[in-house]
Amino acid sequence: MYTTKYHKASDAANAASLLGASPEAKILAGGQTLIPTMKQRLAAPTDLIDISGIAELRGVTIEARKKLGVLKAKGGETITIGAATTHYEVANNADLAAACPAITGLAANIGDPAVRHRGTIGGSIANNDPAADYPAALLALGATIHTTSRDISADDFFTGMFSTALNDGEVIKSVSFQAPAAAGYGKFPVPASRYAMVGVFVAKSIDGDVRVSVTGAGDDGVFRHAGLESALTSDWSPASAAGVNVGAEGLLSDIHGNAAYRANLIGVMAKRAVESA
Amino acid sequence: MSEGIGARVLRKEDKRFITGKGRYTDDIIEPNQAYAAFVRSPHAHAKVNGIDASAALAMDGVVDVLNGHQLTGDGIGNIICGWGVTSKDGTPMNMGAWSALATDTVRYVGDAVAVVIADSKEIAKLAAESVVVDYETLPVVVGSVEALADGAPQIHENAPGNLIFDWEIGNKEPTDAALASAEHIVEMDIVNNRLAPNPMEPRSAIATFNESEDHYTLYTTSQNPHVARLVLSAFYNVAPEHKLRVIAPDVGGGFGSKIYIYPEEITCLWASMKTNRSVKWTSDRTEAFLTDAHGRDHVTHATMGLDKNHKIVGLKVNTKANLGAYMSLFSSATPTYLYATLLSGQYNIENVYADVQGVYTNTVPVDAYRGAGRPEASFVMERMMETAARQLGVDPAELRLKNFVKEFPHQTPVIMAYDSGDFAANQKQAMDAADYKGFEKRRAEAAKRGKLRGIGFSNYIEACGIAPSAAVGSLGAGVGLWESAEVRVNPVGTIEILTGSHSHGQGHETTFTQIVAERFGLPTENISIVHGDTDKVQFGMGTYGSRSGAVGMSAIVKAMDKVEAKVKKIGAHVLEASEDDIIIEDGAVKVKGTDKQMLWHEVGLAAYTAHNIPEGMEPGLKESAFYDPSNFTFPAGCYICEVEVDPETGVTKIIQFTASDDFGTIINPMIVEGQVHGGLAQGIGQAMFEGVVYDPDGQQLSASYMDYCMPRADDVPMYQVMHQSTECPGNPLGMKGCGEAGAIGSPPAVINAITDAIGNNNLNMPATPSAVWAALQEASKQAAE
Amino acid sequence: MELKDTRVIKADPATVWKAILDPEVLKACVPGCQEMTGNAEQGFTATVVQRVGPVKATFKGIVNLSDMNAPNSLTISGEGQGGVAGFAKGGADVTLTPNGEGTELTYNVEAKVGGKLAQLGSRIIDSFASKMADQFFQKFQDIVEGGGAPAASTAQPVKQGGFWAWLKRLFGGA
Repeated sequence: MYTTKYHKASDAANAASLLGASPEAKILAGGQTLIPTMKQRLAAPTDLIDISGIAELRGVTIEARKKLGVLKAKGGETITIGAATTHYEVANNADLAAACPAITGLAANIGDPAVRHRGTIGGSIANNDPAADYPAALLALGATIHTTSRDISADDFFTGMFSTALNDGEVIKSVSFQAPAAAGYGKFPVPASRYAMVGVFVAKSIDGDVRVSVTGAGDDGVFRHAGLESALTSDWSPASAAGVNVGAEGLLSDIHGNAAYRANLIGVMAKRAVESA
Repeated sequence: MSEGIGARVLRKEDKRFITGKGRYTDDIIEPNQAYAAFVRSPHAHAKVNGIDASAALAMDGVVDVLNGHQLTGDGIGNIICGWGVTSKDGTPMNMGAWSALATDTVRYVGDAVAVVIADSKEIAKLAAESVVVDYETLPVVVGSVEALADGAPQIHENAPGNLIFDWEIGNKEPTDAALASAEHIVEMDIVNNRLAPNPMEPRSAIATFNESEDHYTLYTTSQNPHVARLVLSAFYNVAPEHKLRVIAPDVGGGFGSKIYIYPEEITCLWASMKTNRSVKWTSDRTEAFLTDAHGRDHVTHATMGLDKNHKIVGLKVNTKANLGAYMSLFSSATPTYLYATLLSGQYNIENVYADVQGVYTNTVPVDAYRGAGRPEASFVMERMMETAARQLGVDPAELRLKNFVKEFPHQTPVIMAYDSGDFAANQKQAMDAADYKGFEKRRAEAAKRGKLRGIGFSNYIEACGIAPSAAVGSLGAGVGLWESAEVRVNPVGTIEILTGSHSHGQGHETTFTQIVAERFGLPTENISIVHGDTDKVQFGMGTYGSRSGAVGMSAIVKAMDKVEAKVKKIGAHVLEASEDDIIIEDGAVKVKGTDKQMLWHEVGLAAYTAHNIPEGMEPGLKESAFYDPSNFTFPAGCYICEVEVDPETGVTKIIQFTASDDFGTIINPMIVEGQVHGGLAQGIGQAMFEGVVYDPDGQQLSASYMDYCMPRADDVPMYQVMHQSTECPGNPLGMKGCGEAGAIGSPPAVINAITDAIGNNNLNMPATPSAVWAALQEASKQAAE
Repeated sequence: MELKDTRVIKADPATVWKAILDPEVLKACVPGCQEMTGNAEQGFTATVVQRVGPVKATFKGIVNLSDMNAPNSLTISGEGQGGVAGFAKGGADVTLTPNGEGTELTYNVEAKVGGKLAQLGSRIIDSFASKMADQFFQKFQDIVEGGGAPAASTAQPVKQGGFWAWLKRLFGGA
């Protein structure tokens, strides 16, 4: 690892200002990608700004829905997750599990226990690894990413593999989304890394809007799948998802699986995601 | 509870390992030590036109930057291959030069061209990054078949067409004739995948040159420190043996990869002399993928003939073995004498012929890896047997039973003479435990759940306990493969066993003490094992090839024989009895049929005080022995694997894995079961998960755990491990060896089971979900046609 | 990795050809190019900074134009040493064909990486290379269709946000 200067940020604003102060500074959240990369000497940030101890960036809040008319139906709560909340904290939040079990289940299957105790939701989406799990969830849930300077919709936030709409000196504070009426995540891990070879997140909002996103499979990161969305909009069922002919165009081929295999897995994982929803 | 032979004594070494108190090479700190960082080629094949180290040399804390021309200029010898293999035409093998630091040409990604010695590891790495090497890239070839093709890039001048040797074994004409007249022919192309060894502890070395005494000390991660010293001294001219001490302290796994003497250890020793500093190097995980000798990598075509009664009449095998860019220490023996000599399997086959081409490629050198040649042989044989059964429409167990060797000793057409075994007994035990009869019912039940269930056999045999020195010498080995031991009884009666075997996970500190406890009736806590230091142990050939039990422990037995003889003489003298009436039991020397006895520590004291020992007897109680085996040993067994495949994703789940082994005498069943568990995990790893992937330019695409898949605990089932043993007649303890069996026997069982499940026999290792899914697609496409 | 693509540029082949030979245009098109000196005849030396996720690598190397057959075809090739990261090299065989008012530009790209980039990043190498090629020719098209002169700000390296984010920022969006 090259020499770097460590800063412990006092709050989000302080982190943003420290970040803006140096062109080669990096935010350190859980460090589950950044630290290994630094150890490989492939990253040499001059400054590391640690946000893991910032209280305002941690925790999950669930705000009950305001419309009273449809109380019996599931979903509609406003869920906010702090950027520095670990995967372990998300996975083990009982209230969140009641409101949106798809996201707690997703968090429970990221990496291994060591990763889950350090890795954070903010770190995951800021890195936007093309095989990460959270980008799929936030895109399908139509989440909003709250930063130190603005709010960004997930559709605008993820701009291709490893790239986001974040500007220099901008720090993610939290993400929020409305609890879906139904949602599920089907993940097929790469046997070696256990990142997603294919991960499909399906979500149906309380208004009946269906969004389906796919991670791991696209050659430019997470994307929404129009074919699956339209099939599940007209018929929310595993069979409907399985019936979609998923093409291999634009999908990734690597030493673990070719595009045809990934196309097959998108269909299978979509089906399983709906089954679990 | 007894702590002798057959007792499940807990591992004595585990307390320090699991409390973090192990002492590994990287834990050794010498005063004023410096650190080495290697400058490695990012190209698989290139000319080195120049090295500019000026920036590195100008950095604070850099001691020196050294290159291959300096190394060869100082007379450091090229790295050797210790086993000469002769080609069909009688010519010796074509071996290219391998300098510890490349001089003019680099031949694989990771080939070292220079080394930086600096005050800290960080400075060394930073300086190594600043060294500018002028490479002129050359064409690259990575596969053995491609390397043999016309017009392939030439890797070493003195190996035309990249052919190192073209070797043969067995009886060619009779085999051809048998195949020509066979009723049934089974023919297959078989690939054995390339593996990275991945011991938990990466390689490491710390070398110290003591100028005032003209003496070197090397701590290193070695499975055989004496062999390392011999080779470093005799071939690399580092120092004569009496001026070089090699110590292999705690070593965290080897799997064969720590047998060899690598460029880094040689360089550290030499650099220590050049800089007059202790020089330490510890591999990181990426360096381990790039430089630890890989295993396997065979491309094979095999033909088997059977008569109308389904008796095998002949087997013919051609194998192209990828040996990488340079010839590692035993690289020539692994795909020849350790492989083709086992191609008769457990079967009585009159005619076997194999020829093997050893090939240079622009990849990491390939050498022995857990099983070394024998997994390749059992994979060929057991895939062929299962395929034959499918082709003939007969039960695979029946076909094997019909062809088993049933009388011993049995001379195969490929050198080996099997000394003992009961293959049918192992097969029956495994079939009963696996409920083979109930399989079709389970298959039907799985089908109802949409799953494809399959079952596969593997009846392996291996040659272990390597090896009779004269025999291996006649086959080309550069060393004898005996073992030595010394039994030191201290004046207080405690015992130290000095052994030339080396434990790097095998549990010698436990099992070796058990045989001594058994012999003298002492508690194991009074016995300790000394190993891994050339200044302490007289000599040793080290641990590999499942030899520590059959050869290493036999040497201890021979030394104990001498101790016992002397103890009896002392006992007879002191107790005033006839030697013939002296017995040793329960930690005492007794006169048979009387109550006269000396306690064990009294014997020790008597020997060392020498106040009252027989006239003419030397004082002291310490004996040594060298044991040279008379034959290989032949562990064998039957493995049955049952799997379920998810046709939607290609995911294979091992439902049950049953292993019935014949290891001869078992000293500690707990340790033996652990060895089998580990071996099975490694074999299952090869079959389903592991595989080194190169791109056509020789870049290793699987050089981290992001891409190289090691089996994890949840990937393997709860094994059913059992034994059905016959005693080995070749050594005093009747042991056969257990260290490699699991890795040797399991891959064919797994692949036979998966191909049974999916109905497509065309499946290579590793059978990853994507590979299995593709094979399923191919099968359904063929079914549709 | 090999990939082939075609795009139609609204300019005649002579204009396109001229742009290809313009060092300023070339510099503006190579994603992450920080410095480039030299000329079309003798080749260029360049410094290129690439970021992929947390990885940042600086490549120092050369860019050459060869097999020049004006105004029909040429090969653009580049090779850079990225220090600890390894090396990257790539080439594009470019063909220009008149297409109505414009020019059909066909490119056949081959990209290779070696060293740590290959050892650790194999899963994303192909995607990244195709993205780079796409950015290169998109930028080239934009410049040619925009009148042939790169905007002053294009000397900046393309930022982590990738081409579209970069474009959005350039035009004050996002």
